[in-house]
Amino acid sequence: MTTARGRRTGEALGFWLLLAPSLLLLVLVFATTVAGVVRMSFNGWTPPSFYVEDVVLDHYVRLATDPLIREAALNTVVLALQAALTSVVLAYVMTLIVWLRPRRFRLLVIGLMLCPLLASEISIIFGWWLVLPRNGLLSYMLVGSGLVSEKINLLYTEFAAFLGLVYAILPYSFFILLSVMDRQDRLLLEASADLGASPLSTFREVVLPLTWRGVVLAFSQALIWAFGIYATPSALGPDTLWTMGQRIQEEMIGRANWPLASAIAVAMIAAIALLLVLMRTMEPKERALG
Amino acid sequence: MSESILELERVRLQYGPVVAVDDVSVTVGKGEFVTLLGPSGSGKTSTLRLVGGFEHPTGGTIRIAGRPVNGLPANRRDTATIFQSGALFPHKTVAENIAYGLRMRKVPAAEIARRVAEILEIVALPGFEHRYPAEMSGGQRQRVALARSLVVRPSLLLFDEPLSALDLSLKLQLRAEIKRLHAELGFSAVFVTHDQGEALSLSDRVAVMAKGRIEQIDRPDTLYNSPANEFVYTFMGESNRLDVTAAGGAIRDLQGNLLPLSLEDGLAEGAWRLYLRPSRLSLSEHEPVRSNALRCTVSMVEFLGEHFRYHLACNGLRLMCDASAKLGLAEGSEVVASWSTADMRAYR
Amino acid sequence: MASGDITTRLLWAAGFLVLGVVSVYVALPVAIAFVMSFSDGQILRFPIQSWSLRWYGDFFGSRQYVDALVNTLVIALGATALSVTAGTASAWAISRRKTLATGALTLLHMLPLFVPGVVLGLGIAITFGNVRLFGVDLYGTRFIVMLAHSLWGMPLVMMLMETTFRSLDRQVLEASRDLGAGPFTTFREIVLPEVRTAIASSALFSFVVSVNEFYMALFLTTRDTQTLPVLMWLSLRSAGSPRLAVAAVVLMTIVLVSLVLLATGLRKRERKPQP
Repeated sequence: MTTARGRRTGEALGFWLLLAPSLLLLVLVFATTVAGVVRMSFNGWTPPSFYVEDVVLDHYVRLATDPLIREAALNTVVLALQAALTSVVLAYVMTLIVWLRPRRFRLLVIGLMLCPLLASEISIIFGWWLVLPRNGLLSYMLVGSGLVSEKINLLYTEFAAFLGLVYAILPYSFFILLSVMDRQDRLLLEASADLGASPLSTFREVVLPLTWRGVVLAFSQALIWAFGIYATPSALGPDTLWTMGQRIQEEMIGRANWPLASAIAVAMIAAIALLLVLMRTMEPKERALG
Repeated sequence: MSESILELERVRLQYGPVVAVDDVSVTVGKGEFVTLLGPSGSGKTSTLRLVGGFEHPTGGTIRIAGRPVNGLPANRRDTATIFQSGALFPHKTVAENIAYGLRMRKVPAAEIARRVAEILEIVALPGFEHRYPAEMSGGQRQRVALARSLVVRPSLLLFDEPLSALDLSLKLQLRAEIKRLHAELGFSAVFVTHDQGEALSLSDRVAVMAKGRIEQIDRPDTLYNSPANEFVYTFMGESNRLDVTAAGGAIRDLQGNLLPLSLEDGLAEGAWRLYLRPSRLSLSEHEPVRSNALRCTVSMVEFLGEHFRYHLACNGLRLMCDASAKLGLAEGSEVVASWSTADMRAYR
Repeated sequence: MASGDITTRLLWAAGFLVLGVVSVYVALPVAIAFVMSFSDGQILRFPIQSWSLRWYGDFFGSRQYVDALVNTLVIALGATALSVTAGTASAWAISRRKTLATGALTLLHMLPLFVPGVVLGLGIAITFGNVRLFGVDLYGTRFIVMLAHSLWGMPLVMMLMETTFRSLDRQVLEASRDLGAGPFTTFREIVLPEVRTAIASSALFSFVVSVNEFYMALFLTTRDTQTLPVLMWLSLRSAGSPRLAVAAVVLMTIVLVSLVLLATGLRKRERKPQP
């Protein structure tokens, strides 16, 4: 007969055994990776070797002073903010439609929003490559339908980078907003109308406050995601538009400067961590309804 | 004395500062149907789960068929539980559900098939072997749950408020089923409910619980007629309550008015609560029928199907009287409400 | 909302306009890549003069591209297996217990999702660059990419499975134990059938994430092990031919096929009629 202690030990053992695979993954791969990057960022660099064992702050100094890197950081942040904001606005409209008319639109819109997730970013880049340039689809259709007189080129513009980035993060904004909206009671709309509020008032006074938390959440998630996506802005934007991620690739693969690449990566993680902390503290208290 | 199938000896269940089961001792004899009755939070469900092995006691001993089972996990105990939601396996057929426990006991397949068919006949669901839970009504599902537990022939059946989720007619129907099955099959059972009607109708003995303790455990009629304390009395049924003070042999209401009540041994000085069941009041036009009487006016008449409930206003006091339709008294009528001293209970 | 209200009508019109624009926006690159893959031309230009399947032939005839495709599939399958196993096990463990630790543990499992792919790719390349496992350099193997992709796959699986496990009727599980089944039997007979859909969905999700993943693969693969997205990226500037369109279509087809397999596979098992 098992004793109480024996039984508890058995349960605890089972618990940790089940967690073992993922914990192994997290500790042996994830934690060591992050630690490795941080450690590497303090190493020295003397070409042609990838790095030199050392503890220096050279690369962080470079981060702060190198104008190219500073520009890349600025580009990343500005682009990400623009894209996150736009994607959240678009996603909000879509989730509203789904929430208000679920029977007709829920499946359709969800299917639509899954598309960017199901195709590889590279495929999407390629698709935009076919649409945006002078000889691309957009030009062809605009000239063909007589709307413009000569071919226009949108490829390698900042707008193209923006367009592509919004495309990539739109689904994330949408699904986060959807999960928040799904939890709201549609009856509240009827109650508001019943009490005499116009649709705009209802939106301003009822819908927006209730979903605001979701908006903040979606925005910050989209922002975080946008930081890391560099292939799209790099391929669609002008050659002068460098982002942090692209710099990492350049330093790591192109220049074989591992420590600098790591320092940039650490800066990225730090920015994301800061964003997450900010989000937590800004989170409005859960309204206590019955 | 028949051997006991379950012995709880000073069983205790505590989570941090919360004591869910507080020194509970009870014995269930073979073939006996014992109900744990009480409001939510009384510890009745916790006690049942302790017996079933879903929780483990922090103190005391539990013996099933003479064997101590304190550390034994649920799947090694010879008990079978019927849950409130039925808890049928949704992706298995009725036959597969019922066969489950037999398979765990390594009963051979041919025997399983035979016993499944047999138990389905007993619970009046013949031919339901290949149905799925989603295809059946709530009442049918509960009967399958019953069958699933009965078929393994456990030493002890545990019922965890199995009728609470059903509507009234279904509740009564299944209650009768359970009673019939108990009479036919003679199983030992511990039944948990908050409905005193169920407890009274089904049980050999009822244990009224409050705050983790057993207030009284007795035969249903004893419990109803001779409650050990105020809690048991008020829990077992509705009653009229009079707050009075006794001083110098006289009984007065809270306004100080003298009440023409007589109690057998009189009341000691101080504040008392007097209780009286609505069904024990008699109404008459002029003369009191019993020893205690008050002049009242009918303030409201409620029709409750089986009987009428007359709400009476008696000089500042409010009483309820349950009576059959024959009285035909209308609102505003003057009546005399009377009752025997023996029907009154006094508690401090 | 009163249907006669002008404001409402205008708002809805605006909403639908946005919906229409977004639909075109979302569908455009995908559709166009699909169409272009059937072009007969040597370069990418509109309008498409002639149509043929020659670029499909070119793709499947190219050793490099087919190898990349195989790599992609192998890595995705491996990553999915790892993610589903680890994620489901953790989700089960966490959903059964409820202590302060579980909140922290869940958060820990979600952490990799907040790290950009480029950082993970860089980091794993740096950290495991010189690591040898069973006498084989980890860097440049498909295995290391599987591990990398699992860092994202495992949390995704865990999120979905934890929700699913929590929604299980506790009393059904207790009934199983009550009737004599041990924890393994209960999991196998009662839990798994119930969560089949969720496991399949999370596996699909993990699979798709891995197939399409580019950043980590870029840092961790060599010419021999490169995945299709990586090959496409490297060929983007140099070979702007319809072969890339075919590659894009192939990737999308893999995803669609897995989706369809999942949907039909689940529907076939679905036999309970609605009450």
